[in-house]
Amino acid sequence: MATEIAFELPYTEWNWRIGVYVAMIGIAGGAYLTGYVADLLSARGNASEHGRIAKYGYLVGLLGLAIGPPVLLSHLATPFRAMLIPLTMTNLGSWMAIGAYMLLGFGLGSFLMFAWVAFGRNRPHSPTVAEGSEGTLAADGGRDVSSDGGAEDGPARAATGGTTGGIRGILNRIGLLDRLDALADYTRPSEPIRLAIGGVFAIFAAGVLVYSAMAYGSGATERVALWDKTFLVPVQILGGLGAGLAVSVGLTAVADRSVTPTVQRYSLAAAGLLAATLVAVLATVTLLPEQVPAAEPAVENMLTTHATLFLGGAVFAGLVVPILLSVGTVVGQRRDALSGTAAATSYAVAGLLVVAGKVALALTYLLAAEFTPMPLPI
Amino acid sequence: MSTHQSDGGTARVIPNWESCIDCGACEVACQRTWDLPPESDRIQVVALAHGTDDETNKPMQCYNCAEAPCVEVCPTDALRFRDNGTVRVDAGMCIGCHYCGVGCPFGAPQYPDAEVPEAEEASPLGARGNGLMDKCTTCEPRQEQDLEPACSSECPTDALLFGTPDELSEKLEEDHVSTPFNEEAARIVFGDDADEIVGE
Repeated sequence: MATEIAFELPYTEWNWRIGVYVAMIGIAGGAYLTGYVADLLSARGNASEHGRIAKYGYLVGLLGLAIGPPVLLSHLATPFRAMLIPLTMTNLGSWMAIGAYMLLGFGLGSFLMFAWVAFGRNRPHSPTVAEGSEGTLAADGGRDVSSDGGAEDGPARAATGGTTGGIRGILNRIGLLDRLDALADYTRPSEPIRLAIGGVFAIFAAGVLVYSAMAYGSGATERVALWDKTFLVPVQILGGLGAGLAVSVGLTAVADRSVTPTVQRYSLAAAGLLAATLVAVLATVTLLPEQVPAAEPAVENMLTTHATLFLGGAVFAGLVVPILLSVGTVVGQRRDALSGTAAATSYAVAGLLVVAGKVALALTYLLAAEFTPMPLPI
Repeated sequence: MSTHQSDGGTARVIPNWESCIDCGACEVACQRTWDLPPESDRIQVVALAHGTDDETNKPMQCYNCAEAPCVEVCPTDALRFRDNGTVRVDAGMCIGCHYCGVGCPFGAPQYPDAEVPEAEEASPLGARGNGLMDKCTTCEPRQEQDLEPACSSECPTDALLFGTPDELSEKLEEDHVSTPFNEEAARIVFGDDADEIVGE
């Protein structure tokens, strides 16, 4: 008659969908924040190059939201009810409710900021003809295929809003570009106000990053020692920032064929953030069992039962290799040992690996976790 | 026997573990009384310390904790304290996120996948299915008829005790058995009344 305890492992409550959700919102939050920093830096010079990172940072933020929350909704018993966030998420003591509002604000911010920098004839960071060709791979094919300018449109068109390649090229082919340009120009505020609005939304993005840690157990760590927030919050914040930036760099390199010195500097920054994430992860493995003895079995699970996922997927493929690729590619470029195409490919591969690693780490935190023993005198 | 909240506090069902013989009568009584689908385990005789010399089988269900972690983490306020101090889930507000399942120290929240068309109509007596959170309701309709919850009523060995903290304390003392809760668990379940139970 007796059965196993149904709540033996947290994974019985939350499956892989929660891991994908947490990973995607972390990447999205980090990408927006790094994009916003690039947006601010563009005012100091080299606007179009910083602008590319900003644009793709905001885009990655949107893409992360397009993937993560729907995956979460598919896990819920009543997804349509859950979508009525402003009406249903009423307990602001719950991190899921807090996170839902953060995601709502962040989603709006990502959409607006991306639309304002990617569309419109008067959009910020719009390259001059000279800038548009600087450092891009236009020389490879004799034609600038960046999203911002195309030779076929002529210099004036390129300077004010090109239509070939990238997102703009796609939208132009389906006949939406002119309308989106007009809408963006109509709604875009002055530059100081746009940046100020972006700063407000950056607070939401930072909140999403924190939420990507607090979502494990809704902030309560009593039952799952592995999710101790002292260790988990740094891992998630640093990991989100590093992954978001690495993906933005990879997307910029591929979509805009841009591997300029500015992009290289962002790649090094991403490597630095990923290295910091690696340190935070290693600190979790080495120090958490000492600080929180109840976490010892879960850490043991990470290093044994789920070693392939954790050490192979999250640590090696998701952190170590992207760090080496990011740094190595920059070094190779500066020594003229790498072609632009090879460098762009390398940045893109690093970005893809980081995404896979982020998902692997999130899944590890779910799979390896164990509930602390029930507070019963067994 | 008090069947409603009295000055003595919230009436709950707690196990008298030393009397449980693992017969499963409580599970059957609960499922039969509320016509629950087979997937539902509002009360379940579970194996604790499984695979060890200390393995033992005990009934577990929602204790309607005074400091209920499930209420704290529920994002939609689907879990609330009723006036009588019990914790009730509103099936019409639950989204099935499992946060309560992760937060509850006793594993009480269940999420039966059975398709139950009348789940909404069953509110506030629990979801019973459809992947929504479901748990013990302390048989409130039976209490309104001055009846004990089905599980404690039908337990052949009185291994499930029902009453306010005062009454539970008296029963444990009468039976010369110890509380099933340690200090930490008693604080979660009984809140300010924990001393009465743990002190026995």
